[in-house]
Amino acid sequence: SQPLTGHQAAELQSKVVPSKQILHSDNMEMEPETMETKSVTDYFSKLHMGSLVYSCTSKRKNK
Amino acid sequence: RMEASCLELALEGERLCKAGDCRAGVSFFEAAVQVGTEDLRTLSAIYSQLGNAYFYLHEYAKALEYHHHDLTLARTIGDLLGEAKASGNLGNTLKVLGNFEEAIVCCQRHLDISRELNDKVGEARALYNLGNVYHSKGKNVASAGTHDPGDLPDDVKNALQKAANYYEENLAIVTELGDRAAQGRAFGNLGNTHYLLGNFRSAVLAHEQRLLIAKEFGDRSAERRAYSNLGNAYIFLGEFETASEYYKRTLQLARQLKDRAVEAQACYSLGNTFTLLQDYEKAIDYHLKHLVIAQELHDKIGEGRACWSLGNAYTALGNHDQAIHFAERHLEISREVGDRSGELTARLNLSDLHMVLGLSYSTNNSMMSESHVVENSLNGTRPRVGRRHSMENMELMKLTPEKVQNWN
Repeated sequence: SQPLTGHQAAELQSKVVPSKQILHSDNMEMEPETMETKSVTDYFSKLHMGSLVYSCTSKRKNK
Repeated sequence: RMEASCLELALEGERLCKAGDCRAGVSFFEAAVQVGTEDLRTLSAIYSQLGNAYFYLHEYAKALEYHHHDLTLARTIGDLLGEAKASGNLGNTLKVLGNFEEAIVCCQRHLDISRELNDKVGEARALYNLGNVYHSKGKNVASAGTHDPGDLPDDVKNALQKAANYYEENLAIVTELGDRAAQGRAFGNLGNTHYLLGNFRSAVLAHEQRLLIAKEFGDRSAERRAYSNLGNAYIFLGEFETASEYYKRTLQLARQLKDRAVEAQACYSLGNTFTLLQDYEKAIDYHLKHLVIAQELHDKIGEGRACWSLGNAYTALGNHDQAIHFAERHLEISREVGDRSGELTARLNLSDLHMVLGLSYSTNNSMMSESHVVENSLNGTRPRVGRRHSMENMELMKLTPEKVQNWN
């Protein structure tokens, strides 16, 4: 049902911007979202295990 | 050779995502999950990063799944900060998926925990996210109808007002923290919220601040966004010349940044602005540029819009052959993409145009002869083309809100 989906998508879009009212396109430019980040290294450095991470990293680099 | 450990795989995933290759990063994180670990904090960090990677790849169902795993895990191990972060990420993802009510609950949880932990940075970020959810919610409801900025039902207005309040609260904290980048983001979205609320002067003030900060950072994408948003606001203030100057800067930067889609958008905005300035030659020039890029990007909707706009501009100039050509193309494309209202508009335009041409061909010396129409339009008088004429006036009125005080 690929064509149907495409058709529906187009129809949805045309509902959002009816072609009768397109003189201004209302294309607002939003700022990006901010996501919260976690990292496995943050956790290890907190546990004072930075050396372990270091050895992992250097081992990989030497491969 | 030894099998790679879960940790090693996760570290490689982190490195790849930081380098901007989320797709490859995902493979390593998923491999890490396959290998597995007893360490639930490590697993939580992997889930969180998988969620974010999928978010940036626009695979939101997957993002939702992993942020949900992360939240469950954070709660299980009693990691409050981890729970706050997972809630925030889940909230952002739910927002993109259009599930605003649950998104609000999650972002509120992020906010509550941050306050409990006296984490000012987290609190500010949660406030920004909440602002974004309410903004999206308001915009979503508004776009279901056919409202212009400032002309809104109460529930939309309430949501947007809440968004503005959250952005203001966020601004107070990030200003205190001296975080200029965060201030820039808040000003940008606050400006857009004021724009939708119809507070166009406030929108301009916020976007001017955004522009200033973008220049401070040499962030040309943010600078381009600010120009474009300033252009939009000045259109609704009825200051079309100023709007055209901002759109021209948008276009310049879009070209420098080699972003064809944004370039097309800028050309379209400029075409519309010169239509409002009744400089139809320039309007046609920009709409043609827009058309070329829309075709290049296989953007059928954009192509349809370009044809519609070109048909109107050529009609205004009295060039009925070109007007008919583009109205026919508009009809074809509207049918192709299933845009029924576009199809109807195109049919009406075509029948008007055929009527004008038919009359001018049959009665050479009549009032409606083509030369007369052209002469009229050269004198600055709009040619009378029945329905289209009245419809265009309607468009112009829609574009010019009653709130405009200094409307000449």
